[in-house]
Amino acid sequence: MSALIEIDHLTRRFGGLLAVDDVSTAVAPGELVGLIGPNGAGKTTLFNLISGFTPPTSGTVRFKGEAIRGLKPHQIAGRGLSRTFQNLRIFPNMSVFDNVSVGAVGAMGQSALGAVFGGRRRSDAITARTFEALERVGLTAQAHELAANLSYGRRKYLEIARALAMKPDLLILDEPAAGLDDSETAELARFIRTLNGEGLAIMLVEHDMNLVMGICSRVVVLASGRKIADAAPAEVRADPAVLEAYLGVEA
Amino acid sequence: MFDPYYLQQLAIGLSQGVIYALMAIGFTLIFGVLNVVNFAHGEIYTLGAFVGLLVITALAPPLLVVVLVVAAVGAAFGVGLERIAFKPFRRFSDEASLKSRAMRESTLMSSLAVSIVAREGLELAFGSQMQTLPFDQLINKPIALGPITIVTGDVIIFAVAAVMLIGLQWLLTRTRVGLAIRAVSANPLGAKYVGIDTDRTIILTFAIGSMMGAAAGVLVGLYYGAIFPAMGFVPGIKAFVAMVMGGLSSIPGAVICALLLGLSEGLATTFISSNWADMVAYGFLIVTLIFFPQGLFGAGRERV
Repeated sequence: MSALIEIDHLTRRFGGLLAVDDVSTAVAPGELVGLIGPNGAGKTTLFNLISGFTPPTSGTVRFKGEAIRGLKPHQIAGRGLSRTFQNLRIFPNMSVFDNVSVGAVGAMGQSALGAVFGGRRRSDAITARTFEALERVGLTAQAHELAANLSYGRRKYLEIARALAMKPDLLILDEPAAGLDDSETAELARFIRTLNGEGLAIMLVEHDMNLVMGICSRVVVLASGRKIADAAPAEVRADPAVLEAYLGVEA
Repeated sequence: MFDPYYLQQLAIGLSQGVIYALMAIGFTLIFGVLNVVNFAHGEIYTLGAFVGLLVITALAPPLLVVVLVVAAVGAAFGVGLERIAFKPFRRFSDEASLKSRAMRESTLMSSLAVSIVAREGLELAFGSQMQTLPFDQLINKPIALGPITIVTGDVIIFAVAAVMLIGLQWLLTRTRVGLAIRAVSANPLGAKYVGIDTDRTIILTFAIGSMMGAAAGVLVGLYYGAIFPAMGFVPGIKAFVAMVMGGLSSIPGAVICALLLGLSEGLATTFISSNWADMVAYGFLIVTLIFFPQGLFGAGRERV
């Protein structure tokens, strides 16, 4: 099976700092991969490189076999790669429904004239997609509330719904459990597994080790910009290099 | 018992308010809804009036054609303005720059610079004195309404303002473009990652807002019969006041406040003296900001 996303010798230098240093890995369709690493390991930079936000210094990213160098974030998103953010980036003054339909609009094209005069059929399709995504995260009842009025935990699901409305092939979740309590985290873990069970490939960046180890089939570990492990959770847990990076001791 | 003179003054105040409203609509779209500091809207309005003058002296087409041509040129000016004064500040899209107030508000200076250059350029080309528009094209034929008299321009400007207001509300709340505009204004990065072309959305908003600004300029020029390079300044300030009073992001709020401003200026002229008219308008602004810091119609912009 060919990889959905291939990261090939990716390097990003900020002045003298090598934020991401020669990282190669791949995610297969339908895979659930965790990305962990101590603070400053380069996880966010790696995500920014993948989603087209930051251009790489060298190396390539291929999504569905095509190099995405030079594409803008919204173009990459349009090709089926969506993400959520560590610090939520929802639209607080808009209704829950409108928040999610932005994702559907983003995926289904937004030509200016088409949007103003565009056929009923397309807006019906957008509405249908929006409700489908709201249904997935259980926010249908709150569809007409302002996003700002949702609880913090619900807003996380709102952001996921917005990404799901794009019908992505790869969903990147940036620290989705941050700020959630244990039972909320457990609920989120179940939800991520369900999504993945339906064939959606997911990359999960997380500080919560139990969450990553519990649900991911493979874990990539970054430390100081370099990939130090890329294996099944049990193997990673026993890897001396990982222990050293996390605990700062010679194992 | 009730002197029709006062009714007439009310009508004059209201028509002044409608003129402010015409300006405030496009202004609030760019400044308040898109959340971009733009001080060049007054010059778009002036440019619209001058383009109208050129079109009328060259071809003398019917009013509707004049307004459509001016609106099209205004949209082009808007795109140019965005390219010169706004796009350069969106080069840096990292977290730190996005959060930096200086980065966001630097367009205050760049748009002000563009507005000064445009105004001085017009003065070089046309001189700073009044230019009169051909009399037969003006929209100031009187209409008697019982005891008071209004002119055709009052009706036309009111109708255009109403169409703009309703059209924009529809665009913003019922169309995909409007959804994208609101999303970009709320969180550009969030919008980008779900496939919204933020650059194009911003350019389009500038085009729409400037189209309305330029159309307002030519209509007001035809209403008063004279235009001059600095004509955009005072309505620009009044539109700003109306927008702030209306709660920044609310176009209907800005329109209502523009009407209030016009009416209060009309009343101040009647009962005190015309020198006090501006005083009353700014007094309203101060009172509003003290008692309703969110504006009269502000939704309370929450930042998350």
